[in-house]
Formats: sequence, structure tokens, C-alpha cells
Amino acid sequence: MHRTKRGIALLLTLVAVAGLAACGSDDDETTDTTATSAQSTTGGNGSTANGKQPADNDQPSIETIVVRNGEPVGGSAELEYDAGEQVRFRVSSNEADEVHVHGYDIGEEVPAGGTATISFPADIEGIFEIELHGSEKQIAELRVNP
Amino acid sequence: MSLLPYAHALVARQDLPIPAWLFAWGASIVLIVSFFALSVGWRKPRFEDENWRPLRAGLSRALLGWPAQVLCGAIGVFLLGVAIYSGLRGTEAPDRNFTLTFIFVTVWLGFPLFSVVFGNVFKPFNPWRAVGRAVGGGFAAIAGQPAARLEYPERLGRWPAAIGLLAFVWLEIVYGVSGGVAVGLSPHPAAIAAVVYSTYTLAMMALFGVEKWCERGEILSVYFGMFAQLGSFGTKEGRLGARKPLAAAGRWAAVPGSVAVVLASIATTSFDGGQEGVFQSAMFDTFDWLIDVGFEATASRRITSTLFMALCFAGVALVYWIGVRGMATVRGAPSLRKLWTGFAHTLIPIAFAYLVAHYFSLFVYQEQAQFTYLLSDPLGTTTTDLFGTASAGVDYRLLSANAIWYVQVGALVIGHVVALTLAHDRAVAYWGDYRQAARSQYWMLAVMVAFTCFGLYLLSVANS
Repeated sequence: MHRTKRGIALLLTLVAVAGLAACGSDDDETTDTTATSAQSTTGGNGSTANGKQPADNDQPSIETIVVRNGEPVGGSAELEYDAGEQVRFRVSSNEADEVHVHGYDIGEEVPAGGTATISFPADIEGIFEIELHGSEKQIAELRVNP
Repeated sequence: MSLLPYAHALVARQDLPIPAWLFAWGASIVLIVSFFALSVGWRKPRFEDENWRPLRAGLSRALLGWPAQVLCGAIGVFLLGVAIYSGLRGTEAPDRNFTLTFIFVTVWLGFPLFSVVFGNVFKPFNPWRAVGRAVGGGFAAIAGQPAARLEYPERLGRWPAAIGLLAFVWLEIVYGVSGGVAVGLSPHPAAIAAVVYSTYTLAMMALFGVEKWCERGEILSVYFGMFAQLGSFGTKEGRLGARKPLAAAGRWAAVPGSVAVVLASIATTSFDGGQEGVFQSAMFDTFDWLIDVGFEATASRRITSTLFMALCFAGVALVYWIGVRGMATVRGAPSLRKLWTGFAHTLIPIAFAYLVAHYFSLFVYQEQAQFTYLLSDPLGTTTTDLFGTASAGVDYRLLSANAIWYVQVGALVIGHVVALTLAHDRAVAYWGDYRQAARSQYWMLAVMVAFTCFGLYLLSVANS
């Protein structure tokens, strides 16, 4: 009989572990994000992340992604929206390039030393890369939640 | 995200992680179902006999007769040729070239799906088998005797396929890393790999015989054949028949190396899912450490991914081994070796559930590309428009995030139930005594819960 109990005890341990893992996942997300943006800068001139905050849907200021020499300053940005909202962000670059939003397949030219404003309805759910066509670098990640 | 790219560069969209509430529901259902399974356990094995009965002779002749065989074989050879040609001559853009989507999505993910439903449908389309049989038949006709064969060493069993499976996935998602944008393996190296693999396969078929190599060493045949064991159609002595679903799986793992094949399947899918979330920060750390030690970036990426893929395999094998060790402590247990192979088939549904959970949306989206622009313009050079669909695109609105989540969680839960069913049935057959059998199954239950909850966990932290 004690074998039965041992089996059940093992099972409960597993459940507990799975439960803890689920609870921990929220914390992990923040650490991972930092790791990602810190990583992305290594390819550039080694400048540290400054002032690039993850988008938090604050309406008045539009997220601006600054690109220098084909690299996003401060690493890849994160844009997060709920389905049905309007995605809106700016890209300014010292070199001419084309911003490409994957999945939505939206392209927008940025003139050298200029700024492009990109706006479209968030009507496809999922995670999408936003990259520069010329330098082929990812400048942001777009998340559209249901 | 851009540091460790993966083969999904094919698709422009990634799945959102399943939300916490769905994870909680999924895990709860798994546990409730599991305890319920313990209480309703049947006392006589039900899946030991596959109860095969032939279908009508006319149907059997039509599907297995030589015209069908020649036609299917020719289709297989033709498509392999197209894949190699487009890889060599086409664009290097992974999403615009026929080769990558065809090999890694349509074939690699499509055949497991069809095999689970219908049985071994890859066999007639296998291009190497078709070539091997044609050459063998030609030789026999000219020489008046069949070609000499080496005896396949049975000790090797399915080991060549198990190692090949790991190598295949390694090539797909580890080797193909090239920094910056996510690009996985590019079409050109994929085509070269296909040529190398074709040469190797044909050589092995010449040595050991076409059918023998398909059963033991040819990666795709063995891998798809594994899923086909769950299906309800099978052939016996050249006749097509229907059988009890799942029941054919029971004898599949008796061949050495089969356990490694199913473990490798679960491990590689876990790795691919985990590198997008669960393992991401650990992989970053390893990568950084390797850079510090003095490796260059690509080498560091490959070493990191190889290491984590190996860890996945070790982890999956360890969980199964603990379950087997545990069962061996129950009175009346057969030998460890018999348990180790005897319960391996119960992991096939888990392996399939993992595949569905991780690649369902990729498959649905990428097949739209496969059957529109990749078919009309296989080279991706905008020089052809064979079916007038070259300018079509993928409709990413086809699936909502919720639909994907429900399919993912549903697949894992159903896979879990089927796995428990097979394990309970095998235990009843091995122990004879119902009570001891049920006792042994606490261990397998723990194994299955571990795999299913890990699968859910992988989904819940994907792409973070």
C-alpha cells in the first residue's frame, strides 16, 4: 500500500512544480525582455540602452524608434496592442531605408535624416517582427493580443 | 529574439504564449483526467491485438497495384527533384523558395498528420524507395537474378534512423543559424543536404535492400512510420486492411533503437519550443560565456543550441527512465529491458501532441504559401507563374490567437489521454494482475503528467 502513497506523493510534487513554474513565468518575462534588448546592442557600437521603454499604450506620446546606421538605438523596441486598436509608431533614421512590418506586410520609406509615421489597425493577432529592409535588422517586435 | 534565430523565419508571424488561465485549465484537466483514468482502468488488455481485417480486394489492388505504385513513386521523385532544383537555382530568401517550405513544413509536418489518420502514406511516395525499387527491378531483369545484399545487422535496429532524426532537426534549426535576421537554414544548403542524403540513402538501400533500409534506417520512413502505427489502416502481405486504431503501436518498439526514435522526437520538438521561451535566457548566458571564452558568434550559437538540444534529449530520456525504474519496483514486474521497450509506444501520442502544439499554426499558414505562390513560382525569382497564383499571399487572419491556443492545449490533453490508455493497456498485459498493473501505472502517470505539463509550460512562455 505504501507504494500507492509514494506514487501519489510523487504526482503531487509534480503538480506543485508545474504550478510554481506557471506562477514564475510572469517574472521570467521581464528578465527575458531585458536580456533581449541588452543582447541586441552588442552588434552595434556598444552603446548601452538609454530611454527605450517598452510601449505601454500611452496615447499622447507616439513611440519613436531611432535608427542610426541601420541599427535601432537602444536595441529592438517592443510594441504591444490589443486587437482592434490602432498601431502607431515613428521611425527616424539617419540613412534612407524601408520599414517592413511582417505579417501585416506593410512597408514605409524613411528618407535619410527623416522620420516615417506608420499607422494601421491591429487586426491580426500574434507576434510580428518589424525590420529594416536595407540593413535587414529587426528594430521592433509587435505583439497583438486578442 | 534576433540573437538565436530558428527555422520559423519562414513565417512572418509567431504564436502568442498561452495565457496563464488557459495553462491552469489545461493542467487541471490533465490531472483530473489522470485520476479518473486510474479509477476506470479496464482489466483485460484491449489494444494488444490490432484486429486487422482486409479491405475489399478491388480497393487494395487499386491502391497498392503497380500502376498506383509507379504513379506515387514518380510523384515523389519529381517533387524531390523540384525541391533540389529550386534550392540550387532559386532565391536564397527562405520564405520565397519552394525548397524549405516543402521539406520542413509540407513533408516533415504534413506526413505525421496524415500518417496518424490513415497509416503509412509516405511509403508509396518515398522517392528513394521508388528509385531503389526501379533500379533493383531493372538489375534483376537484365542480370536474371536479384542483386546481392548484405545482411542488415539487427542489433543496429532503428538506431541509424534515431541518429538521423537528431541530425535532421539539428540541420534544420541548429546549423542554419546566421546572425541578424532570423533565417534558419537557407535553400541552397538545404538542397545540398538533400542531395547528400539521397546519395547516402540509395547507397544504404543498395547494401541492405530497399525495404529493409526503409524499415530501419531511412529517417523519414521510420519517423512517419512511427506515427502511422496509431492510424487505422495498414498493409499485410500486400493487402490493405483496417485495424483497431492505436493497436498496431504495441509491437513497433520491439526493434532496438525505437525508444531513441520516439524520445528524439519529443526532445527535438521540446528544444524548438523551449529555445523561444523557457531556455532563452539560459541560452543567452551560455552564448555570452562562449563568446567570452573566445568562440566566434556563429560557432557559439551552434554550440549553445547543440548543447541545449542534447540536454533536452537527456532530460526526456531521464523522465522516461525514472518511470520505467519506478514500474520495475512493482511486484511481478518484467525485466527493466522489457519495460523500457514495452512502454515506448505509449510516448508516440505525446510526440504527436507536441508536434501539433508547436507547429499547428506554422503548418496552416505556410501551407497557404505552399499551394499558392510557392507552387506557381517555386524558384522565388518571379520568372514563372505556373498556376496564376504567384502573387498570392498568406492570410494571417485565418486563425485567431484563441483558436490556436485551444488547438494547442486540446492536442496536449488528447495526447495525454491516449498515452495513458496505451500505458494502462500494456500494464494489464504485462502484469496480468489488475491491481499490480494499476500500481505500476502511478509511475507512467507521473511520466505523462510531466511531459504534458512541460508541453503546456513550453507554450505558456513561448516567444517571451
